Amino acid sequence: MKAKPLFLWRHLNKLRWLTLATVFSMLVLLPFLHVYQTYVSAHAYDLLAPQEKELYDTMEMLTRPFVKDPAEDLDAIKGNTWSGTFFGLKLSDPLAALGQMAAGMNLYTPFLLTALIPVLLTVLLGRFYCGWICPASFLYELNSNFAVLLRRMGLHTGRRHLDKRFKYVVLFAGLVLSMVTGSVLVAAVYPPAVVGREIYYAVALGGFGAGAVFFAVTLLFDLLVSQRGFCRYLCPGGALYSLLGRYRLLRIQRIVENCNDCAKCNAICEFGLDPLRDGFGQECNNCTACIAVCPTDALTFEIKLKDVGYQGYGHLGKRYQREHPADQPSKEVA
Amino acid sequence: MIQRRTVLQRLIYAAGITAASTLPYGLVRLTMPEARADFSTHLRPPGALKDDLAFNSACIGCGLCGEVCPPRCIQFYQREGGDRANTPYIDPEQKACILCSKCMQACPTEALTEVPRNDVDMGVAQIDRSACYPWVDRGICGACVSICPLGERAIGFKFWNQYQPIVKQECVGCGLCVEVCPHPSLPIRIVKRSEGTVARHSV
Ligand code: SF4
Ligand code: SF4
Ligand code: SF4
Ligand code: SF4
Repeated sequence: MKAKPLFLWRHLNKLRWLTLATVFSMLVLLPFLHVYQTYVSAHAYDLLAPQEKELYDTMEMLTRPFVKDPAEDLDAIKGNTWSGTFFGLKLSDPLAALGQMAAGMNLYTPFLLTALIPVLLTVLLGRFYCGWICPASFLYELNSNFAVLLRRMGLHTGRRHLDKRFKYVVLFAGLVLSMVTGSVLVAAVYPPAVVGREIYYAVALGGFGAGAVFFAVTLLFDLLVSQRGFCRYLCPGGALYSLLGRYRLLRIQRIVENCNDCAKCNAICEFGLDPLRDGFGQECNNCTACIAVCPTDALTFEIKLKDVGYQGYGHLGKRYQREHPADQPSKEVA
Repeated sequence: MIQRRTVLQRLIYAAGITAASTLPYGLVRLTMPEARADFSTHLRPPGALKDDLAFNSACIGCGLCGEVCPPRCIQFYQREGGDRANTPYIDPEQKACILCSKCMQACPTEALTEVPRNDVDMGVAQIDRSACYPWVDRGICGACVSICPLGERAIGFKFWNQYQPIVKQECVGCGLCVEVCPHPSLPIRIVKRSEGTVARHSV
């Protein structure tokens, strides 16, 4: 009997795009809300310029059903994925905690505690942050789609393979440099932190900062050198998440009986992993794109501490069928 | 047995990899030059760690303090600042702090910690008596005195019947007086408390 993955797994990829888009639009909306709040607390509607009035009216319309006093109540959700508050719950990126620890060379427990929930989730779910939440990931995935478009138009985009372990060196170098310079340098080269911040600068403080330049360079790197190259080879946060998620419990696994060796999973994997040969490893971010694309339901979620080793050719594939004629059921109705 | 040459080769590789991995950081340093910037009129938000180096290493550049600030007085080193990259500052000539303490509550790190309003110490106001209108007998102003949220304790007039403003020790350096003071002379500014209130004035 062939195992059938839960029908839900196939649709998780859509949910994932929804979460990515939601996080990103929140990062755009929050600075506008802040600007609106500053207008409210200034009590000077009549002095606003016409566009400012427009912003005021739009935001008032959007938020009125939810808040009584916009100047105070809208403070419930603030910040970005680097560090933020969510209805009184303060959450921070584990890399923020680690980077700050390195820069100051001391422990500040209240801040470290804000990274506890993300750390626990990563230990259980692996590098899920990269695939499900990271606002930069949202832009990078759109960028890879753009690369596909360029390739269709006959332009070359980079598809180079580098050493995955390089990002651990970047992480290590970042922590050492933070220690030496006494400033949280990892924050400056960590795309999600950069994206959240730059959107805020652009909307509320009137203009992008230097981080936008850095982010543009990473986009170009992905286009010209390697697809999702920054996340795979350079991102210090990705490195930290890969390490934390090494013994994650939730893993994607191939059901070898269902697999027909079509290699669609390998083609769709943004991180260039090898689901076809059971190669997930600590880089897998559980994004479920491979599950969604598999035509024969051959990928599923398992709760396990370790990936299975290479299971051989998929049993529906031509090669396996040639080599094992005895195993083949006589034309079953599917 | 490992050959000496392989050891050497490995060391060179390791050095190369380490150098290459610092490339992103180098890039950021290049885009955030320190030299051009003039930070002399910039204050750290209330409740900030006193030592600026300690502040830099504590602040993770999350922007939360700016995002909750009602008058939007908190700015960030966006394009220059070197090690200060993405840390907050207030330029009271543009917009001053109203001492609402929201930023101190929002900051997740020890960069800003909550202190009572009267103990805030962003600096202290200093009036250049050779440029302030009442002090040079060019009319009556007193805008700074009337705006100060701490009132008479922080800034008052020299004598009850004169209009020349004087800063007192309890000033917390919020900078509202600087914001309100009529440009372009701008005789009032916020200086470090160690620089005192009247030390520089000759009058
Ligand atoms: S105390 Fe209030 S007004 Fe002053 S910097 Fe902080 S948030 Fe802004
Ligand atoms: S809230 Fe604190 S850590 Fe975040 S930018 Fe402001 S001072 Fe820095
Ligand atoms: S004197 Fe100026 S800086 Fe000092 S507390 Fe009053 S308004 Fe603020
Ligand atoms: S507001 Fe400026 S000019 Fe007016 S009294 Fe105060 S310091 Fe002088």
